Amino acid sequence: MDIRENRAQKINVTIDGKVCEATTDDTILRIARKNGVYIPTMCYLSKVEPIASCRMCVVEVEGVEGAILSCQARATDGAVITTKSSNLHKQRQNIMKLYNVNHPLECGVCDKSGECDLQNKTLEFGVNTQSFTAKDMSRPVENWGFVSYDPALCIMCEKCVRVANEITGNEALQISTGGYKSSIVNVKKDFNDASLGESAAVCPVGALVSTDFKYTSNSWELDKIPATCAHCSSGCSLYYEVKNDKIYRVTNDFEFRSLCGAGRFGFDFANENTSKDNEAFHKAITAFREADTITFSSHITNEEALILQKLKEKYNYRLVCDEAYGYQQFLKAFGSVSGESLYGANLESLSNSKGIIVLGGRINDDNPMVKYHITMASKRNRARVAYMHPIEDSNISNIVTQFIKYEVGSEEGVAALLANALLQDKELPQGLRDFLNDLDIGNISAESNIGEEELAALVQSLDKKEGFTLVIGSDLYNHPRAVQIAKLIGAIQKYSSFDVLLVPPFTNALGVALICTLDEKVGNYTVGYNAVGDFELSCLGEGDLDMPALNQQEGTFTTIDKRVVPTNVASSYNGYVLNDIANALDLKSIYTIDYTSKLPVKAGFKAMAFDELPFGFDIAGVEHRGYLLVSKPIKAIEIFEEIEEIPAYDGAIIYRCNLNGQFGMLSNRTKALKQDEIYLKGSVQFAIVSKISDGDEVEYIVDGIKYKRIFKLDSSLKGTIALHQNYDMGLSSTLVSSYRFSHLTLEQ
Amino acid sequence: MHEEIIHTNNTSKEKQNYTMLELGSTPAYGWPAFKQVVKRSLSRELFVGLWLTIKEMGKTLFLGGKHTTQYPFEKLPISPRYRAIHNMLRLLESGHYRCIGCGLCEKICISNCIAMETRYDENQRKEVSEYTINFGRCIYCGYCAEVCPELAIVHGGRYETASEQRASFSLFDDMLTPIDVLKQQQEFAGFGSVSPNADAAIKKTPLAY
Repeated sequence: MDIRENRAQKINVTIDGKVCEATTDDTILRIARKNGVYIPTMCYLSKVEPIASCRMCVVEVEGVEGAILSCQARATDGAVITTKSSNLHKQRQNIMKLYNVNHPLECGVCDKSGECDLQNKTLEFGVNTQSFTAKDMSRPVENWGFVSYDPALCIMCEKCVRVANEITGNEALQISTGGYKSSIVNVKKDFNDASLGESAAVCPVGALVSTDFKYTSNSWELDKIPATCAHCSSGCSLYYEVKNDKIYRVTNDFEFRSLCGAGRFGFDFANENTSKDNEAFHKAITAFREADTITFSSHITNEEALILQKLKEKYNYRLVCDEAYGYQQFLKAFGSVSGESLYGANLESLSNSKGIIVLGGRINDDNPMVKYHITMASKRNRARVAYMHPIEDSNISNIVTQFIKYEVGSEEGVAALLANALLQDKELPQGLRDFLNDLDIGNISAESNIGEEELAALVQSLDKKEGFTLVIGSDLYNHPRAVQIAKLIGAIQKYSSFDVLLVPPFTNALGVALICTLDEKVGNYTVGYNAVGDFELSCLGEGDLDMPALNQQEGTFTTIDKRVVPTNVASSYNGYVLNDIANALDLKSIYTIDYTSKLPVKAGFKAMAFDELPFGFDIAGVEHRGYLLVSKPIKAIEIFEEIEEIPAYDGAIIYRCNLNGQFGMLSNRTKALKQDEIYLKGSVQFAIVSKISDGDEVEYIVDGIKYKRIFKLDSSLKGTIALHQNYDMGLSSTLVSSYRFSHLTLEQ
Repeated sequence: MHEEIIHTNNTSKEKQNYTMLELGSTPAYGWPAFKQVVKRSLSRELFVGLWLTIKEMGKTLFLGGKHTTQYPFEKLPISPRYRAIHNMLRLLESGHYRCIGCGLCEKICISNCIAMETRYDENQRKEVSEYTINFGRCIYCGYCAEVCPELAIVHGGRYETASEQRASFSLFDDMLTPIDVLKQQQEFAGFGSVSPNADAAIKKTPLAY
């Protein structure tokens, strides 16, 4: 719960003669918007704190001298507010005139034309003469890579700087102040795609525009296809903007939500130039009749997952999904203690938290949206953020208040220590209390390398605060002791004031975990759907039968927010889909989306048809997209096992981690994100331990796949753990059944 | 239900002011009609007419008074407002094409016959990479010329659209004023051109320098 909400009292204010109910923590602007009263703004952005640079939102309050900035000012009970008067209109008109001083009259070739705030407001306030002037100067366009910056068009609203600071959090943009000479400067040259993309999205004028999109199309010619991002489990809402069956760009409801770099720039992964290949289709049917196993990637819609489940029920296939199996088992074990089928937290509660613990995931790389929400909590609520991981991450050092390092493989002990620390003064059932009392704290501390004082400091820092979230990353899901860890986390969810967020490791892993009954091991003959198999159905265009990519399908995803969200077709597809195969195998359904209403109600889905699912936000910023899953009560069985001996991970270790917003087979297909050379990145110590040096080509095997990589020293890393990436491996990148850390064995 | 039917009289009562021509009487039967024919055929008037023809023939043949247009070698000038095959104009100073790639012509085109592609060039300017007009669809409505903010696309007078290939006229380079005849480029005076009182309509803005 938000503390502010608790303290907020109900009040009534009158805005333009309309009596509005509100709370004391709401600003006048927010109250007005909620009640449908229009106050013009230029710099206001709902998702960040008020910027207050434009002064367009001035209002008059009875009994208060001078104009008041409605974006900042909170309302008091009984206030009488006027938003429209001739005086205010004149002020706003003058502001617009000032914005228009020397603004180039290049609307014809400006990408923002047609969706430009400056155009709209200039027309709205009838600016047809100019009474202000300033000496113009040369301001060349700067190409920052993903976006281009045109200082001549910039109105210095600061929205871009705010999103880079408050949301994406890497502080890539700064203001260079100097009166009329002020401009925005880009201080971070690498890994800035998310910040730049976000800043271009919120830019009210054409100052920041995607370089790739620049000058290719006018905004009004593009059709917006509402869809869901297919890259990670956050399932962000976005619009594919399409003309002549080509996706030109991705936009989103930037007023309320954000997108990471992959979501915004990595959109061209469609499987193109496909046709109905009858021969391949018949081979596929034969393969399905022959097979005893279907392996699949969790890059799949809920409907397709249900089709696979129905096929399993009918033909007794084994269903193997490496990307979701560990997560499913974890969720099950978690529920067996917490008593709920789903975890408690979501992204919004995360951003409202005052204390956050991140355990077992390199969150900046694994799931950008989780990192952004932690950033919001850190910047707005000054939240305490404890980051527990074997590798320190310098990219998030600006939001992490305490880094707790533990040894690789000791996650079970860490979870036990954490449970012990967080449940110290809580009322617990006898079994759990005994288990915690019996823990050999000293031994676990020594093995995991976490000092007791570190956890004590953590607990102390959370004192007198409320609203806590524990973020669990994907290191734990495939841990050999995952079940026991999940139970301990379940206990934290149930008995402490922490809400747990089990970050699903891949796109729709949560959906697959809820819909399918997964098996662990493959059989003799496998059909792979976007996964390795004896017969491969692939959306990458290189399998035995083509399948549509996720932006060529309609269906639903289940997101980290436990929300079932619709996605639509952005790029046409002419080949066969999974439903055609299912129909040939006697599951009768005309369209894939016929399965939307048949998703298992027992697992928390609703029997809603695809076409009934809403999409979008209301004026107050509340999301109305799809529906929320219902968490089902589970009978809690609290049986904990002894903590196992912690295995020693000595020597050179590699950590499976796709860096910089790469998420797997889809992102590496896109023009903007494709990398030519992929490195194994490690520290100097790692190089010494593994006896390699910078630039060496190394060969090693992980999850049964042979990798050939060039080793690169990375000064931001420490210790003997290197970062291993697998996103370029096509279908093989879905083979991720093992624990994320593994010993490096170099092939000679 | 009873309906009352009202008859209105539309004939005007006013007297019309006609002037009658005095054409004499028309012959009613054979003999007078025959006399009229003989009289008219053999009177001097016939030779007056013939003389005029001979005179004009002489002028045409020997004094250069020919009025025939030797189409297709010769063409009559047509109104600047005539809407035929489009021309793409250049800037007289630099010779660069005027088109800024704003896409308004493509958008306004009601028969959907204009297609263009633009891109970000090395000089960070907007460049027109593809521009075509499908003249099989074009209805020569003139909206493109009217909407063009730069008067870059205009209607020319080239009204012959016979060709071996439909694409013959439709590429940007075909429509563009050839660079060697840039000086002959005429300022367009048809649809969308600057109005005669344009100067008077300009509002003054402050200039501090």
